[in-house]
Amino acid sequence: MEPDDDRELNELLKEWRVADAPRSLDERVLGRRPWWRTLLTGSIRIPVPVALAVAAGLLIMAVALLKPKPNVAVSAPSVVNLEDFRPVSDLNVRVIRHGNAD
Amino acid sequence: MTDADFREAYESHKDQLFRFARRMTGSSDAAEDLVHECFLLLWQNRAAYDRQRGSMRAFLIGVTRNLAMKRLSRERTFDELQDTAAICGPIDPANRERGEIVAQAVGTLPPLQREALILAEYEEMSLDEISQITGADLAAVKSRLHRARQNLRRMLAPVLDSKRKANGTR
Repeated sequence: MEPDDDRELNELLKEWRVADAPRSLDERVLGRRPWWRTLLTGSIRIPVPVALAVAAGLLIMAVALLKPKPNVAVSAPSVVNLEDFRPVSDLNVRVIRHGNAD
Repeated sequence: MTDADFREAYESHKDQLFRFARRMTGSSDAAEDLVHECFLLLWQNRAAYDRQRGSMRAFLIGVTRNLAMKRLSRERTFDELQDTAAICGPIDPANRERGEIVAQAVGTLPPLQREALILAEYEEMSLDEISQITGADLAAVKSRLHRARQNLRRMLAPVLDSKRKANGTR
Protein backbone atom coordinates (compact mmCIF):
# COMPACT_ATOMS: atom_id res chain seq x y z
CA MET A 1 0.00 0.00 0.00
CA GLU A 2 2.79 2.41 0.80
CA PRO A 3 4.32 2.81 -2.69
CA ASP A 4 0.87 3.63 -4.06
CA ASP A 5 0.30 6.05 -1.19
CA ASP A 6 3.67 7.60 -1.94
CA ARG A 7 2.77 8.12 -5.56
CA GLU A 8 -0.52 9.75 -4.59
CA LEU A 9 1.20 11.84 -1.96
CA ASN A 10 3.91 12.93 -4.40
CA GLU A 11 1.27 13.94 -6.94
CA LEU A 12 -0.55 15.91 -4.29
CA LEU A 13 2.64 17.62 -3.11
CA LYS A 14 3.37 18.78 -6.66
CA GLU A 15 0.16 20.79 -6.56
CA TRP A 16 1.88 23.33 -4.33
CA ARG A 17 3.52 25.64 -6.80
CA VAL A 18 5.56 28.64 -5.81
CA ALA A 19 6.31 31.65 -8.01
CA ASP A 20 9.81 32.56 -9.16
CA ALA A 21 11.87 35.25 -7.48
CA PRO A 22 10.28 38.70 -7.77
CA ARG A 23 11.90 41.57 -9.67
CA SER A 24 12.43 43.45 -6.44
CA LEU A 25 15.08 40.86 -5.58
CA ASP A 26 17.08 41.79 -8.71
CA GLU A 27 16.93 45.37 -7.55
CA ARG A 28 18.18 44.45 -4.10
CA VAL A 29 20.96 42.11 -5.18
CA LEU A 30 22.17 43.60 -8.47
CA GLY A 31 20.95 47.15 -8.04
CA ARG A 32 18.84 46.87 -11.21
CA ARG A 33 15.86 49.17 -11.50
CA PRO A 34 13.20 49.63 -14.17
CA TRP A 35 13.96 52.61 -16.43
CA TRP A 36 10.83 54.48 -15.40
CA ARG A 37 11.73 54.23 -11.76
CA THR A 38 15.21 55.47 -12.53
CA LEU A 39 13.64 58.44 -14.29
CA LEU A 40 11.37 59.16 -11.35
CA THR A 41 13.65 58.54 -8.42
CA GLY A 42 17.14 58.20 -9.89
CA SER A 43 20.08 60.34 -8.88
CA ILE A 44 23.46 61.02 -10.43
CA ARG A 45 26.74 61.96 -8.86
CA ILE A 46 28.72 64.79 -10.39
CA PRO A 47 31.91 66.47 -9.14
CA VAL A 48 31.39 69.71 -7.21
CA PRO A 49 33.47 71.90 -9.61
CA VAL A 50 31.34 70.69 -12.53
CA ALA A 51 28.15 71.37 -10.58
CA LEU A 52 29.37 74.87 -9.69
CA ALA A 53 30.37 75.61 -13.27
CA VAL A 54 26.98 74.44 -14.58
CA ALA A 55 25.16 76.47 -11.90
CA ALA A 56 27.22 79.59 -12.72
CA GLY A 57 26.54 79.13 -16.44
CA LEU A 58 22.80 78.81 -15.84
CA LEU A 59 22.83 81.87 -13.62
CA ILE A 60 24.62 83.94 -16.23
CA MET A 61 22.18 82.80 -18.92
CA ALA A 62 19.19 83.60 -16.72
CA VAL A 63 20.52 87.06 -15.91
CA ALA A 64 21.23 87.69 -19.59
CA LEU A 65 17.73 86.64 -20.59
CA LEU A 66 15.93 88.55 -17.87
CA LYS A 67 17.94 91.75 -18.25
CA PRO A 68 15.81 94.44 -20.00
CA LYS A 69 17.19 95.29 -23.44
CA PRO A 70 18.09 98.96 -23.92
CA ASN A 71 16.01 100.79 -26.53
CA VAL A 72 18.07 101.60 -29.56
CA ALA A 73 17.37 105.21 -30.40
CA VAL A 74 17.05 105.89 -34.08
CA SER A 75 17.94 109.44 -34.84
CA ALA A 76 15.75 111.19 -37.31
CA PRO A 77 17.44 112.61 -40.36
CA SER A 78 18.14 116.23 -39.84
CA VAL A 79 17.10 117.38 -43.31
CA VAL A 80 14.17 115.95 -45.25
CA ASN A 81 14.62 116.41 -48.94
CA LEU A 82 11.53 115.95 -51.13
CA GLU A 83 13.23 116.85 -54.39
CA ASP A 84 12.97 113.38 -55.84
CA PHE A 85 9.41 112.83 -54.63
CA ARG A 86 6.98 112.21 -57.48
CA PRO A 87 3.27 111.45 -57.22
CA VAL A 88 2.11 108.14 -58.60
CA SER A 89 0.88 108.54 -62.13
CA ASP A 90 -1.15 105.37 -62.53
CA LEU A 91 -2.73 104.24 -59.32
CA ASN A 92 -3.99 100.67 -59.55
CA VAL A 93 -5.48 99.60 -56.30
CA ARG A 94 -5.92 95.82 -55.74
CA VAL A 95 -8.04 94.60 -52.93
CA ILE A 96 -6.75 91.35 -51.53
CA ARG A 97 -9.28 89.50 -49.47
CA HIS A 98 -8.26 87.25 -46.65
CA GLY A 99 -7.46 83.76 -47.88
CA ASN A 100 -7.75 84.67 -51.56
CA ALA A 101 -4.51 85.95 -52.97
CA ASP A 102 -5.74 86.17 -56.61
CA MET B 1 34.87 35.00 -8.23
CA THR B 2 34.50 37.90 -10.62
CA ASP B 3 31.56 40.25 -10.94
CA ALA B 4 30.42 38.31 -14.03
CA ASP B 5 30.64 34.98 -12.16
CA PHE B 6 28.54 36.44 -9.37
CA ARG B 7 25.88 37.68 -11.78
CA GLU B 8 25.80 34.33 -13.53
CA ALA B 9 25.40 32.52 -10.21
CA TYR B 10 22.59 34.88 -9.27
CA GLU B 11 20.72 34.51 -12.56
CA SER B 12 21.09 30.72 -12.53
CA HIS B 13 20.03 30.06 -8.96
CA LYS B 14 17.84 32.91 -7.75
CA ASP B 15 14.50 31.28 -8.63
CA GLN B 16 15.37 27.94 -7.10
CA LEU B 17 16.67 29.56 -3.92
CA PHE B 18 13.64 31.78 -3.68
CA ARG B 19 11.24 28.85 -4.05
CA PHE B 20 13.17 26.85 -1.47
CA ALA B 21 13.20 29.76 1.00
CA ARG B 22 9.54 30.50 0.32
CA ARG B 23 8.58 26.91 1.10
CA MET B 24 10.76 26.83 4.19
CA THR B 25 9.48 30.09 5.68
CA GLY B 26 5.96 30.25 4.23
CA SER B 27 6.45 33.92 3.39
CA SER B 28 7.54 35.67 0.19
CA ASP B 29 8.98 38.62 2.08
CA ALA B 30 11.03 36.38 4.34
CA ALA B 31 12.20 34.36 1.31
CA GLU B 32 13.31 37.52 -0.47
CA ASP B 33 15.25 38.62 2.61
CA LEU B 34 16.93 35.22 2.89
CA VAL B 35 17.99 35.03 -0.75
CA HIS B 36 19.23 38.60 -0.62
CA GLU B 37 21.25 37.79 2.48
CA CYS B 38 22.59 34.63 0.86
CA PHE B 39 23.95 36.50 -2.17
CA LEU B 40 25.27 39.26 0.05
CA LEU B 41 27.24 36.64 1.98
CA LEU B 42 28.45 35.08 -1.26
CA TRP B 43 29.70 38.46 -2.49
CA GLN B 44 31.35 39.32 0.80
CA ASN B 45 33.08 35.93 0.93
CA ARG B 46 33.60 35.45 -2.78
CA ALA B 47 37.30 34.79 -2.29
CA ALA B 48 36.47 31.96 0.12
CA TYR B 49 34.18 30.09 -2.28
CA ASP B 50 35.91 26.90 -3.44
CA ARG B 51 34.53 25.19 -6.55
CA GLN B 52 36.25 21.95 -5.58
CA ARG B 53 34.06 21.59 -2.49
CA GLY B 54 30.84 21.12 -4.41
CA SER B 55 28.41 22.67 -6.85
CA MET B 56 27.37 26.29 -6.57
CA ARG B 57 23.74 25.15 -6.33
CA ALA B 58 24.40 22.95 -3.29
CA PHE B 59 26.55 25.67 -1.73
CA LEU B 60 23.88 28.36 -2.13
CA ILE B 61 21.05 26.12 -0.94
CA GLY B 62 23.19 25.23 2.07
CA VAL B 63 23.71 28.92 2.90
CA THR B 64 20.02 29.71 2.42
CA ARG B 65 19.09 26.70 4.52
CA ASN B 66 21.33 27.85 7.39
CA LEU B 67 19.88 31.35 7.22
CA ALA B 68 16.34 29.95 7.20
CA MET B 69 17.07 27.74 10.21
CA LYS B 70 18.52 30.71 12.10
CA ARG B 71 15.43 32.70 11.31
CA LEU B 72 13.07 29.89 12.37
CA SER B 73 14.97 29.46 15.63
CA ARG B 74 14.79 33.20 16.27
CA GLU B 75 11.07 33.30 15.58
CA ARG B 76 10.57 30.10 17.59
CA THR B 77 7.72 28.86 15.44
CA PHE B 78 8.68 25.51 16.96
CA ASP B 79 9.92 24.92 20.50
CA GLU B 80 12.40 22.46 19.12
CA LEU B 81 13.87 22.25 15.67
CA GLN B 82 14.28 18.55 16.38
CA ASP B 83 11.87 16.30 14.66
CA THR B 84 11.40 13.65 17.32
CA ALA B 85 7.88 13.67 18.64
CA ALA B 86 5.94 15.92 16.30
CA ILE B 87 2.73 14.28 15.15
CA CYS B 88 0.45 16.38 13.06
CA GLY B 89 -3.30 15.82 12.84
CA PRO B 90 -5.45 15.86 9.69
CA ILE B 91 -6.11 19.21 8.00
CA ASP B 92 -9.64 20.25 7.23
CA PRO B 93 -9.82 20.88 3.46
CA ALA B 94 -12.87 23.19 3.84
CA ASN B 95 -13.27 24.35 0.23
CA ARG B 96 -9.67 25.33 -0.17
CA GLU B 97 -7.42 24.71 -3.13
CA ARG B 98 -5.26 21.63 -2.85
CA GLY B 99 -2.05 23.60 -3.34
CA GLU B 100 -2.98 25.79 -0.39
CA ILE B 101 -3.71 22.78 1.79
CA VAL B 102 -0.40 21.18 0.86
CA ALA B 103 1.38 24.45 1.71
CA GLN B 104 -0.24 24.46 5.12
CA ALA B 105 0.63 20.81 5.72
CA VAL B 106 4.28 21.24 4.74
CA GLY B 107 4.47 24.44 6.79
CA THR B 108 3.20 22.54 9.81
CA LEU B 109 6.04 20.01 9.68
CA PRO B 110 8.90 20.49 12.12
CA PRO B 111 11.68 22.42 10.31
CA LEU B 112 14.13 19.52 9.98
CA GLN B 113 11.48 17.28 8.45
CA ARG B 114 10.28 20.16 6.31
CA GLU B 115 13.70 20.91 4.85
CA ALA B 116 14.36 17.22 4.10
CA LEU B 117 11.03 16.95 2.34
CA ILE B 118 11.40 20.19 0.38
CA LEU B 119 14.92 19.33 -0.76
CA ALA B 120 13.92 15.82 -1.79
CA GLU B 121 10.49 16.47 -3.21
CA TYR B 122 10.66 19.94 -4.70
CA GLU B 123 14.37 20.46 -5.34
CA GLU B 124 14.77 16.84 -6.42
CA MET B 125 18.00 16.37 -4.52
CA SER B 126 19.49 13.01 -3.72
CA LEU B 127 19.78 11.78 -0.14
CA ASP B 128 23.56 12.28 -0.35
CA GLU B 129 23.14 15.89 -1.44
CA ILE B 130 20.62 16.53 1.34
CA SER B 131 22.97 14.97 3.83
CA GLN B 132 25.80 17.21 2.61
CA ILE B 133 23.69 20.37 2.70
CA THR B 134 22.10 19.78 6.08
CA GLY B 135 25.21 18.33 7.72
CA ALA B 136 23.18 15.34 8.94
CA ASP B 137 24.17 11.76 8.30
CA LEU B 138 22.36 9.71 5.71
CA ALA B 139 20.34 7.69 8.24
CA ALA B 140 19.06 10.87 9.89
CA VAL B 141 18.01 12.29 6.51
CA LYS B 142 16.17 9.08 5.63
CA SER B 143 14.46 9.06 8.99
CA ARG B 144 13.36 12.72 8.71
CA LEU B 145 12.06 12.15 5.23
CA HIS B 146 10.15 9.07 6.35
CA ARG B 147 8.58 10.91 9.30
CA ALA B 148 7.76 13.91 7.11
CA ARG B 149 5.90 11.66 4.69
CA GLN B 150 4.09 9.90 7.52
CA ASN B 151 2.98 13.22 8.95
CA LEU B 152 1.91 14.48 5.55
CA ARG B 153 -0.10 11.33 4.85
CA ARG B 154 -1.88 11.87 8.14
CA MET B 155 -2.47 15.59 7.60
CA LEU B 156 -3.52 15.22 4.01
CA ALA B 157 -5.62 12.09 4.53
CA PRO B 158 -8.95 13.89 3.90
CA VAL B 159 -7.62 15.34 0.64
CA LEU B 160 -6.09 12.05 -0.47
CA ASP B 161 -9.37 10.26 0.31
CA SER B 162 -11.45 12.71 -1.67
CA LYS B 163 -8.96 12.48 -4.53
CA ARG B 164 -9.24 8.71 -4.51
CA LYS B 165 -13.04 8.93 -4.50
CA ALA B 166 -12.96 11.36 -7.39
CA ASN B 167 -10.69 9.00 -9.33
CA GLY B 168 -12.99 6.08 -8.51
CA THR B 169 -10.33 4.03 -6.74
CA ARG B 170 -10.92 2.06 -3.56
